[in-house]
Amino acid sequence: MKSTLLLLIATALFLLAVLGHLGFFDWERLARGFRNLGILGRDLIPPDIGILPTAAAALWETVEMSFAGTLLGFLASFPLSILGTRRLFSPWLSGFARFVAAGIRTIPVLLWAIVFVILVGLGPLAGTFGIAAYTVGYLAKIYADLFEGTDPEILEAVKSTGASKLQLVRFVIIPEAANAILAQVLFMLEYNIRASSILGFVGAGGLGFVIQIYLQSLDYRRLATVLLLVLVVVLAMDGLSAWLRKHFLLSTQAS
Amino acid sequence: MTHNGSAPYALQADRIWFAYRNHNWVLRDISLSIPAGKHTVIMGPSGTGKTTLLRVLAGILRSNEGRVSVFGQPTQELDRRHLSSLIGYIPQQLGLVRNLSALDNVLMGALGRIGDGQALLGLFPRDEIEKAQAALDMMGIAHKSSEQVFHMSGGERQRVAIARTLLQHPRVVVADEFASDLDLALASEILARIRRAAEKENITFIMSMHRFGLARQFGDEVLALQNAEIVRGFIGNEILETEQFDPTP
Repeated sequence: MKSTLLLLIATALFLLAVLGHLGFFDWERLARGFRNLGILGRDLIPPDIGILPTAAAALWETVEMSFAGTLLGFLASFPLSILGTRRLFSPWLSGFARFVAAGIRTIPVLLWAIVFVILVGLGPLAGTFGIAAYTVGYLAKIYADLFEGTDPEILEAVKSTGASKLQLVRFVIIPEAANAILAQVLFMLEYNIRASSILGFVGAGGLGFVIQIYLQSLDYRRLATVLLLVLVVVLAMDGLSAWLRKHFLLSTQAS
Repeated sequence: MTHNGSAPYALQADRIWFAYRNHNWVLRDISLSIPAGKHTVIMGPSGTGKTTLLRVLAGILRSNEGRVSVFGQPTQELDRRHLSSLIGYIPQQLGLVRNLSALDNVLMGALGRIGDGQALLGLFPRDEIEKAQAALDMMGIAHKSSEQVFHMSGGERQRVAIARTLLQHPRVVVADEFASDLDLALASEILARIRRAAEKENITFIMSMHRFGLARQFGDEVLALQNAEIVRGFIGNEILETEQFDPTP
């Protein structure tokens, strides 16, 4: 009890020190920030809807990139996550698979986009590969952990029917995890739509390019239109994934 | 070793010792012989190692000392597919895949006979599907074949688990605490169905149970496991008349 209290006090002191170091207690600066927020807000209104056709085209590219990248990453993450399941494979093999996934995950999606811009040139293809790469690293880890949590009694029972490892994956591991597999890939899709709207900053296609131009030219009314479009898409995605969850989770028919 | 030189024992354990770690023995020097075609019930207080004994008998765990043979063949020397053609195993929680239908779960009993490619595509041969339907029919739940196990009742799940094991065509079935969670009437009905199926398919059943009434109904022989040792074996009605030990936890 006493040690918990000490830990809490130490954490609070550390937080205060960090905030101070970051300039959180520079009141004058914060007040200036609030004044600027007012000015920025005024400059954003009303949104310039004249650029809607341009923005919509860029937005569609972003949506395409996120869908294709998420799907490619999802497919590629499967073999890696199965190899990373310690219940099925030797510690060496599963350790190696997990190491590869961790390596991929270490690199942020923006950096992956830069790598692919170098490899395949400017444009949405680089963005798609960047998103796919990051998705592989993330999902492979999540799925391997998920597969490892499969009820050992079910594995044992089906193994005793003479099933091979591949058959166990097909008939036990994937169906048992089906709900979480779907939930995670939907989460990743939402995440990728938000992430891919800035990939254009590094020339990887989509909305980011447009956002960057309007930011640099201080054209905030046009920027407001773009941000509103992103908001609409993210809300639509939320609705879509809520619908998918409602219709498929808990009653997933895996075969 | 054979029974009268002709009818072999279905399962034999010869001086088996088992510990999960170090020398903390869960099973100590256990020998038993299960005659082919007879149904054996293993009883004993909770925590005496009934589950461990059944898992060793089914070839899922390997004993530290001694050996288990199924129809004279040591289980340790058989590969998984060969073993699965001889012994079926039903764990206490049944080991069903909840997201799949009853029929899909039953079809898993055929996995030891079909190739990976076919199985990955979910393409089971027509005759296996028919046999799976027949197994569900024998258990009285043919009409539930497309229902997800997730939505089924406890009794229905028990029947699905048995049907899966029947499709496996083993000669011996090892079942842990089968029908324990069901009310007496339902458990009794399911066990009667199992006896009929076992006679038809010539299967030897070994089950652990904790209810005397059901053990008497189902078992031709009852073994008691206490303090990591088999203390006594009983046949038929003798169990109630002569035994003093308390099988309930």
